[in-house]
Amino acid sequence: MRPRTNADRLITQTLAGEVWPPLADRHAYRVDADGQPFLLPGMGGVTLGVHLGDPATGYAADHLEPGLSVRHAQPGPNLALQYLSCVGNTVTVRSGPAAGATGVVIGQHAYVLVDMADEAMREVCTGDQVVVTARGQGLRLLDHPDVVVKNLDPELAGRMPLQTCPDGRLEVRVAARVPAAAVGAGAGMVSEFANTDLMGAYAGQGEDLSLGLERLRIGDLVLLEDQDHRYGRGFHEGYLSIGVISTGHCRLFGHGPGPSSILSGPASAFAIVDDESANLAHYLLEGEPAR
Amino acid sequence: MSVPTAVAVNLIGTVEHPEFGGSPFAVAMDGSPYLPVGDAGIVLGVQLGDLVFGLEGDHVAPGATLTHPDQAARHALTSFACLGNEVRVRTGGAAGATGRVLGKRGEAGRVIVVFEPDVLATLAPGDAIQVRGFGQGSSCPPELAAAGAVVLNCDPAMLDRLQVRLGERASFPVRAVVPSKLVGNGLGRPAQQWDLDLAVTVGNAERWSMAQLRFGDLIAITDLDVRHNAGYRHGWTTVGVTVHGASRLPGHGPGVMPVFCGPSELVDVRPDAADHRGVTSDRLWS
Repeated sequence: MRPRTNADRLITQTLAGEVWPPLADRHAYRVDADGQPFLLPGMGGVTLGVHLGDPATGYAADHLEPGLSVRHAQPGPNLALQYLSCVGNTVTVRSGPAAGATGVVIGQHAYVLVDMADEAMREVCTGDQVVVTARGQGLRLLDHPDVVVKNLDPELAGRMPLQTCPDGRLEVRVAARVPAAAVGAGAGMVSEFANTDLMGAYAGQGEDLSLGLERLRIGDLVLLEDQDHRYGRGFHEGYLSIGVISTGHCRLFGHGPGPSSILSGPASAFAIVDDESANLAHYLLEGEPAR
Repeated sequence: MSVPTAVAVNLIGTVEHPEFGGSPFAVAMDGSPYLPVGDAGIVLGVQLGDLVFGLEGDHVAPGATLTHPDQAARHALTSFACLGNEVRVRTGGAAGATGRVLGKRGEAGRVIVVFEPDVLATLAPGDAIQVRGFGQGSSCPPELAAAGAVVLNCDPAMLDRLQVRLGERASFPVRAVVPSKLVGNGLGRPAQQWDLDLAVTVGNAERWSMAQLRFGDLIAITDLDVRHNAGYRHGWTTVGVTVHGASRLPGHGPGVMPVFCGPSELVDVRPDAADHRGVTSDRLWS
């Protein structure tokens, strides 16, 4: 049975942002887990060629942010943009040669991250203005009061294969199960901002760094074991969180491909089904007209 | 290969004042609001050796916390201040009094210093404190260094006083040994500027052999490498000092400032959940 929601009571807001440039400093290099310096693109700006469904790791990149990286120039409005934007929201380019092109929010990472077709994205540049049609915070699953929902567009929630089981648990399909030891930077931060960097996914580096997460894909739904993301992010035995992988390859240690949190609650409230195809690409793109 | 000589630097910090945003409340893991008391500034009545879980405060440090108005200088102050370094009050009613560095905290960077209670009671926010930064760049014995082990955030003179033995192997007395999955805030951050918060609460402290955790205790964390940012690495052990207390925020808790990291096969930890003795006032001042 599809879970009932309060989607009909939610508010939609139009938020503004701009494509933010990649940032560097005069020291240029950062250092990886093995002490090797690197200078690589990935964070900020417009990152082409990596989309929902593509491998998250295996790139010569650091803090890979697929697509557009969007923020607001003023601190207060920026926090509103980051907190209120939800995975699945529509983004429309408002200035520059790509004006009118649309994309979709795939997560947050101190920027709102926007996937769109490469053909349109090639025309987008840093400084271009976008609007996010923000809708989703406040979404609840009415028959699952112990499950906190966040950062999730209600229409996307409706396309995901969520089910209420006969025993009352919420069935969720995930492409990977992530042990708590993989959780890196992002722990201790609020879960409406940025994402949870996963370690153990340093493809191409040592076996002692691996937790078997090198095969994650952008858009994968993942289970985070013993993680409580209801009101922040922290280790909590007996709880779990569900996230959507929104960022990719990292060299900076303690960082890595990161899920944006969308569901969290006691493990006993969930029925988890392993499904390699559990990826946003299937819920957002296939057989569905763009909104 | 000759061992380079570590150098000392004089730094300045100012005693910070607690800060709040627009709301007095923080949100605990269970969603309940609470008012965080004792997070930063001058905290009276809490001393090294006190029980961490005997307080109602949030991120309480047993002393005064220092900052610097210039962010780059603040990062440097945090980077170079090490456990055991001498500090001297330069202004205010306690001018001339000395104390010691206990540790450091993350985010924008803060240094925790301890004083005798009568000195601490005379300090005020804004007082200037000189810190004799010494310890970063000091080395392990060659056998450990060859295996990649490092000492960090620690005046070398403190190691003997803590009954740490460094030779062909490393040996540490600790309150408890915990897995890296308990670490929250501090992961992915530079351990020379940041502590590691453990998801240990009054509710689960017994499970992790930390019910008797005291300010200043040494803690070992398995499968954690903090040499180039803190992160998971199988087979590496990090040892640190408990520099601040518990918190109800998810991903936060007692803060451990790393002082050593090396391959687990070369590290002997000597856990004593009941009678461990870590950094104490007499060991800091001896």
